[in-house]
Amino acid sequence: MKLAGVAVVGTIMFAVGLVWSPSGNTAAQKLVLTGASTIAPLAGEIARRFESRHPGTRIDVQTGGSSRGINDVRNGTADIGMVSRDLKPEEKGLHAYAIALDGVGIIVHASNPVVMLHRRQLIDIYTGKIANWKEVGGVNSPITVVNKAEGRSTLELFLSYLNLKNSQIKPHVVIGDNAQGIKTVVGNRNAIGYVSIGAAAYEAEHGTPIKLLPLDGVAATVANVRSGTFPLSRPLNLVTRVFPEGLARKFIEFARSPEAHDLVEAQYFVPISIR
Amino acid sequence: MPSSNGWHDRLAEWSVYAVALLISAVFLWIFGDLARGGIEHLSWSFLLDPPQNAGRGGGIGSILVSTILVLLIALVVALPLGWAAAVMLAEYVSSGSRFGYTVRNSLQILAAVPSIVFGLFGNAFFSIYLGLGFSILSGGLTLACMLLPILVSTAEAGLRALPDTYRSLAVALGMSRAATVFHVLLPAAAPALVAGLLLGIGRAMAETAALLFTSGYVDRMPGSLLDSGRTLAVHILDLSMNIPGGDVAAHASALVLIVVLLLINLLAMEMATGWQRGKIVTE
Repeated sequence: MKLAGVAVVGTIMFAVGLVWSPSGNTAAQKLVLTGASTIAPLAGEIARRFESRHPGTRIDVQTGGSSRGINDVRNGTADIGMVSRDLKPEEKGLHAYAIALDGVGIIVHASNPVVMLHRRQLIDIYTGKIANWKEVGGVNSPITVVNKAEGRSTLELFLSYLNLKNSQIKPHVVIGDNAQGIKTVVGNRNAIGYVSIGAAAYEAEHGTPIKLLPLDGVAATVANVRSGTFPLSRPLNLVTRVFPEGLARKFIEFARSPEAHDLVEAQYFVPISIR
Repeated sequence: MPSSNGWHDRLAEWSVYAVALLISAVFLWIFGDLARGGIEHLSWSFLLDPPQNAGRGGGIGSILVSTILVLLIALVVALPLGWAAAVMLAEYVSSGSRFGYTVRNSLQILAAVPSIVFGLFGNAFFSIYLGLGFSILSGGLTLACMLLPILVSTAEAGLRALPDTYRSLAVALGMSRAATVFHVLLPAAAPALVAGLLLGIGRAMAETAALLFTSGYVDRMPGSLLDSGRTLAVHILDLSMNIPGGDVAAHASALVLIVVLLLINLLAMEMATGWQRGKIVTE
C-alpha cells in the first residue's frame, strides 16, 4: 500500500517534471504534418532521419486521411499535408510535391484459379452484374466484393480507373487501410479487393496467400509502377498552402532527395528523383 | 420431488460451470493467440527502445511512456472530479431532486456517446480552441471527459449501497459531514470506487479513436506534456491495419498491453483493500 502510494506520487512528480524541464524538446523549429495514413509511416521515418541530421528541429507526423491533410493545411492546423493522390481541380491553389509513387493492384486469394480480369469484368464484378467466380473462369462460388471506405484515395483512384461512381458499387465488405484489405482477402477465398501494390507484394513475398492480378495485361509489380506502364498508380504528395519556405522547404527537399530513397523503398513505395 | 429438484440443481450447476469455463476459454484463447504470435519478439530492448522502420523493428519504449502519461493525466483530472460529483449526488442531493436528475441524466448520455465523438470534441476544443495542439495533454484531458461518467456512476452506486447506519453512527459521534465522507463512507465504498477505476483504466488503455486526433501519432519519446505521443492502442491499430509486415510487433505490443492492464488491476485492488483496512477495521 505505502509502496504503491510512493510509486504513484513518484510517477506524477516525474510527469510534472517533464512539463517544466528546461531540457524538454522545446525546439524553436517545428513542423506539423497531417494526412494520408498511407504516407504517415513513411513521413515518420523521413522525419526521424531529418531530425537527426538537423538537431533542434522537430517534425510531428499525424494521420487521418488525405482529405484531412488538405483541410488542415487550408486552415493552418498543419504546415504540410500528406495527400496520397493527385490534387483535384478545386485543390489546385495548393502546392504539391510528390515524394514517392504507389500502385494500386487487384488482389484475390492465392487459391483462386482466376489469373486475369478485363476492365469490363472488373466493372461488372464491382457493380454486382457478375456475382459468381465461374462467370469469369473461376470456381462455382459467389464473389465477395471488398471496397474501400469513403474518403480513401485508393477508392477515388479505383473509381476513376473504372469510370464508376461509388454509389454504383455493390460492396459486401468496406475496409479502411491496406493491411486490413489484405487480411480480409486472406480470410475469404472468394474475396476480391484492391490495395497498395507495395503492401501486397511484401505480404505475398512473405507467404501470405494472396495473388495480385494484372491490369490491362500489365503485371502489378513495383517495377511496372516505377516505369510508369502500370495503369493504376498515384503520387504520394506533400502539400503546402503557400510556396514552402524555411524548414518546410528544407524538409520537402530532403524527402525528395536520394538521402530518403532507401526509406521510401523500405515502405514498399517507388522513389521519385528530382529532375 | 427431491429427485427432480436434485436433477434441476445439477443441470443449473453444470450450466454455470460451463459458462464460466467458456468465458475463461475466450480469454485464454486471445491470450494464447497473442503469446504465440508475439512472445518471441518480446525482450527488454523491445520494452525500452524506440520504434524503428514504422514499428516493424525497434521497440515500444517511447510509446509506453506516452501511454502512461496520457493515462496519468486522465486519472489525475477525472478522479477528483468524478468522485466529488458522486459524493455530491449521493450524499448532498436528495435522490429525487431536479438538479440531481439533470446531472445524472447528462452523465448517462455522456456514457453512451461513442469515443470518436469525444475525439472530435477533444480535437476541436483542446487541440484547436485551447491551442494545445496534438499533445499528450489534450489526449489525457479528452480521456478524462470519457472517464467521468463511468467514475461518477459506479462511485454513486457504491455510496448509495452503504447502509444508513454508517451515516447515523457518524452523526451520533458528532463527526462533521466532510469527515464522515472522507473517513467512513469513501473507504467503505472503496470496492465500488476501484471497480469504476478499473473499468475507466480499461477504457482509457483501449482507446484509439479519441486519441488519434488528440494525442496523435508521433512515436518519438515525449519531451513534455505538450508533445504529441502515440499510445499503445494506437500503435497496435497502426501496426495491424496500416503497416504491411507489422503483425509480429502488433502481437507483442498487445501482449504488453494486456500484461500492463493486469498489473494495474492488481495494484489498484491492493491499494483499495489497504485503504479500507486502514480506515475501517481497527487491528
